[in-house]
Amino acid sequence: MKKSCEQIEKLLVDYADGELSPSESGEVAEHLAKCDRCQKVLKGLRRSLELAGVVWADGLEEIRGVGLPQTTAAGRFRWRRYAAVAAGILIAAGISLSRRMITEPRAAAPNIAEMERRIEEVGRAARLLAAAELLAEYPDAQSIAKQQYRYIVEKYPETPAATQAKPRIQ
Amino acid sequence: MSEINPDSVGETGAGAGGRSSQSGVFDIFIAELDRLRQVAAGMGLGAADAEDAMQDVSVKALKQRRKGKSQDEVVRWLTKVTVNRCLMHHRRRKRFSRSAAEIIKRRTENTVEAAGTDAKAIVAEELEIVRETLRELDDSLLTVLALRYFCGLNSTEIGQTLGLSASAVRSRLREGRMILAKRLIERGIEP
Repeated sequence: MKKSCEQIEKLLVDYADGELSPSESGEVAEHLAKCDRCQKVLKGLRRSLELAGVVWADGLEEIRGVGLPQTTAAGRFRWRRYAAVAAGILIAAGISLSRRMITEPRAAAPNIAEMERRIEEVGRAARLLAAAELLAEYPDAQSIAKQQYRYIVEKYPETPAATQAKPRIQ
Repeated sequence: MSEINPDSVGETGAGAGGRSSQSGVFDIFIAELDRLRQVAAGMGLGAADAEDAMQDVSVKALKQRRKGKSQDEVVRWLTKVTVNRCLMHHRRRKRFSRSAAEIIKRRTENTVEAAGTDAKAIVAEELEIVRETLRELDDSLLTVLALRYFCGLNSTEIGQTLGLSASAVRSRLREGRMILAKRLIERGIEP
């Protein structure tokens, strides 16, 4: 018995992916030869996947630009200490940012989104700095630590972490 | 999406044991970093979120003991952890945040990339529909689509990574693909 459009439609993704048995695939091909509606769905499946690939590739291009997480297997971290240092730097950065916001005259009040962005940046840079400081304790990881300092200075130049990282690059 | 438990490394045995190298989990993380970034891109993370996610995964990789697990099992575990990190970011932020116009602009600037793609012109309106659909797609569908069609895993490998049967993976793939295709057709775009 011939399959209806609805039954064929359920097979179209597997057909497009080449996952059907030869007999099923033949049946779908036969239906497609005389059904414009199913042909259109198949074209839509192929085109949408092609375009999804473009969106994904663009995202990957952007992500490739981000710095490598500069942790290393060369030495095993003392994780409690890592967390404590990161928390300490975050708190210090937060206090410094708040103080600057309170004491320094501002040309215009920053909007919430801008404040959130800055706080995130400060936190991110502080976190990277904490990892770099720990790395710097290991003789084998000196060059990686320097790379990390350089990355912080280049990527987050306006943060307290960048100010701390700068002298360590030289 | 059903909660994925990343706390146990590779409970499924299939496909394991192909490689005997006993490098640590962190070494495998470094070797797999490009692929994990691909997972993050497939899930729609922007650069800043991807940086966070990779940092988190690297921390987990450093803390994780290999305990005799095969390389394939560790890779699956890393993929699972990365997917979970991406899902956490989805709860806080928009994914696929760059508009179709921006994507097309970047593509035209990057002549090498543009030359490598198919000859068919990318229509901004079509691209925008697909981007929006990916953005709105349920996490459970987006995850399998990205792993299958962007990261090149097959249904069995995705199932092993996410703790699903291969048939459940195929069913999600069908559903996700149909949503993408029908959105293009419904909006009057002739593929």
